[in-house]
Amino acid sequence: MATQSAPPSNFSDQNPVSEVAKPASEVHQDAKDISPPSVFVNSEPIREDQVQNAVKFLSHPKVKGSPVMYRRSFLERKGLTKEEIDEAFRRVPDPTPTVSTGQPAEDGQLNSSKMQQQSPTQAIQPASNTPIGTVSKGGTSALYHLGWQQALLAVGLLAISGAGTALVFKKAIVPRLKSWIRKVVSEEDEDLANKTNSKPSLAEEAAAAAKSAAAAAADVARASQDMLISKNGEKQYFEELMSLLGVQVQEMKSMSNAIRNLEGKTSISGQEDHGFSLNNSKPPYANGKSDFTPSSARPVSPPASVEPSGAPPHPKSYMEIMAMVQRGERPSNIRDVNDLPPNPNQPVPTPSLAPRPKPWEVGQVQNSSNQALQSQDNGFTQMNGNNSAPWWQQKQSNNVRINDIESVDEYSAGSSGAQTIDRPIQRSWVPPQPPPVAMAEAAAAIRQPKKSTFQSEPLTDDQFLARSSELTNELQRVTKISESGGITEANGESYVPNTEIQTEESNSYVEA
Amino acid sequence: MPVFKTPFNGYSVKFSPFYEHRLAVGTAQNFGILGNGRLHILDLNPSQPISQFASFDTSDGVYDVAWSESHDSLVLAAVADGSIKLYDLSLPPTSNPIRSLHEHTRETHSIDYNPTRPDSFLSSSWDDTVKLWTIDRPTSVRTFKEHAYCVYSSSWNPRHADVFASASGDCTVRVWDVREPGSTMIIPGHEFEILSVDWNKYDDCILATGSVDKSIKIWDVRNYRVPMSVLNGHGYAVRKVKFSPHRGSLLVSCSYDMSVCMWDYMVEDALVGRYDHHTEFAVGVDMSVLVEGLMASTGWDELVYVWQHGTDPRAQ
Repeated sequence: MATQSAPPSNFSDQNPVSEVAKPASEVHQDAKDISPPSVFVNSEPIREDQVQNAVKFLSHPKVKGSPVMYRRSFLERKGLTKEEIDEAFRRVPDPTPTVSTGQPAEDGQLNSSKMQQQSPTQAIQPASNTPIGTVSKGGTSALYHLGWQQALLAVGLLAISGAGTALVFKKAIVPRLKSWIRKVVSEEDEDLANKTNSKPSLAEEAAAAAKSAAAAAADVARASQDMLISKNGEKQYFEELMSLLGVQVQEMKSMSNAIRNLEGKTSISGQEDHGFSLNNSKPPYANGKSDFTPSSARPVSPPASVEPSGAPPHPKSYMEIMAMVQRGERPSNIRDVNDLPPNPNQPVPTPSLAPRPKPWEVGQVQNSSNQALQSQDNGFTQMNGNNSAPWWQQKQSNNVRINDIESVDEYSAGSSGAQTIDRPIQRSWVPPQPPPVAMAEAAAAIRQPKKSTFQSEPLTDDQFLARSSELTNELQRVTKISESGGITEANGESYVPNTEIQTEESNSYVEA
Repeated sequence: MPVFKTPFNGYSVKFSPFYEHRLAVGTAQNFGILGNGRLHILDLNPSQPISQFASFDTSDGVYDVAWSESHDSLVLAAVADGSIKLYDLSLPPTSNPIRSLHEHTRETHSIDYNPTRPDSFLSSSWDDTVKLWTIDRPTSVRTFKEHAYCVYSSSWNPRHADVFASASGDCTVRVWDVREPGSTMIIPGHEFEILSVDWNKYDDCILATGSVDKSIKIWDVRNYRVPMSVLNGHGYAVRKVKFSPHRGSLLVSCSYDMSVCMWDYMVEDALVGRYDHHTEFAVGVDMSVLVEGLMASTGWDELVYVWQHGTDPRAQ
């Protein structure tokens, strides 16, 4: 794609001036038809298989619960182009809880069916939200893992309660039963002693009743003892379970300690270290962002990413400072520095030196002046071959440069002080088109002598348009001048240093 | 002696494009975790030790420095509080900084100055955005927000004034054109975070990326699905890559394995030089545009070394 005047998806900030960019972009689109398409643009056609894979990915319920940014980033890391990702997003509609179930709703059943459908989908949504962004199997197994652990906990609790009731029974209830039985028996004896003569049958009956009651109580006691034994057995089993759990807990603790150590070494903070995260799956940055909240200290910052080999060994004092900061202490050597500009309107100084030509530019200059004019389509040919010969000649470039400035003055006088943004010397390629009005203020500042040193008030849209059309006209004119061969080429040097903002004081010192 | 000791931990070093003897060093206290920062302007003297021309204190660490390509006395500092400070060396220290541009909501990690349109520069930040600025404006011209995680580095194309690349913790490199509203190319370069990106000065379609996965990959944007070359050799994350301004196939890199390596990616055995002079993470490296073979590096060991490629950095 060469240009897009109205791109479908847009993640960059839209400056208000970008609205005005459209007419300007149309203006320069005509001019751009001449130039070859940029190599910095992805010109592959959309690959249908990749799009379908992406659609499958995006349709997964877990993925639907994750933020859009993470889904895009995942697809980008899989190598999909922007167009393919946009196409996949277009094909997968963004679901709402009621729409996702897709049942035709009739008035009578509408509410009930909606309610029924909403609750399971809402149940799915929170469940899918918990393993955020990690679409790997690690997430699902973690869930199952949790369930298993929960089951173990439940069993443990039951066993504990069973043991507890057994203990209570044994300690409190059984003695009470026994004492009650003893009481009954002693009362029986008393009764017997008191009423032996009067009502022996009654007493006998009472005794018999008491004995049977005692027997029943004894049976109960025996039963309870049996229960106790079984409870003991359960208790033993439970204790075994507990010990196993304890072992597992120990292992987990040691693992987390190891992880903490690693994390501590590699800095939970410092983007500097890119230490370990708690799970190995991507996206690593998900952990970094979700686990840490911003605060004043650096530790909160970017990557807790996975490192393939292990963390690099950090200086000991680094670990000390990290530990200090994590405890909330502030290192004592920090001073309160006021680094604000004393005069924010301090004018930018005038440069006292011309920008020196870069070694890679000088090489091109010498080559293009030595060779015949290449066709414009060769703008992007590799310069390696050309430059490998003369790279040692660059030391002579300084001499050439001194002549540059003088002839530059003539040249720029000839073009009435107009400036081009890019070096027009390389006539083998076409200078890039003027940027759209999104940068009109900058463009205006670059290309025209400034009336005031600083423009604090923004220009209106009309002024933008007027300036941009002026500028494009002027640029095209200048381009023609440079393309027609101009003055400079005859001298054998054709390097024109880069443009700058022209200040009032230095109108005579102009670099075209 | 080609070494300078800074009071704070070194983060970035850049040669001036105007003066062969001048370089800027950005440092941060307490390894950049929490503390002040300082920007040093150093002068190299042929037979004398490195001397300091000026230094400026900042309230937060300086993560990166950049020289203006248009004004010989202007230098920029990327500060960990999200601001960019502009210093004018022709003014006395009490008049500095002359600007503080504070728009990023997280740490500013790098600044790159446009060599072909020399009033504009880019700042990359941990707030996932890249901002485009010009020297004369107090606010940014554009914000490029597409990366899903911190942007660690951005680099202008040496030939096309509108094109730049950005490297991010979301494991992608994006190529942008400032005339387009969004990125024009997404290169999923590594499986881990990409910390640095730089263009080949002699072939504008080739760029190099350095990543946490310890490798450096060379990419051709015309065929970006597969890297042209993968350079292995570092023992830990590669913190910075920089193509040589003088040889098209040479590039230099520094890493958390404390070494600075020189590579030639056109050659079978790409590692052509290795310097182990640092005793802590080597975090900043630069090659001089004006003097061929002159390089400088700095690291958390609070030392700045300047040496000629092929010589020992610690020698006189």
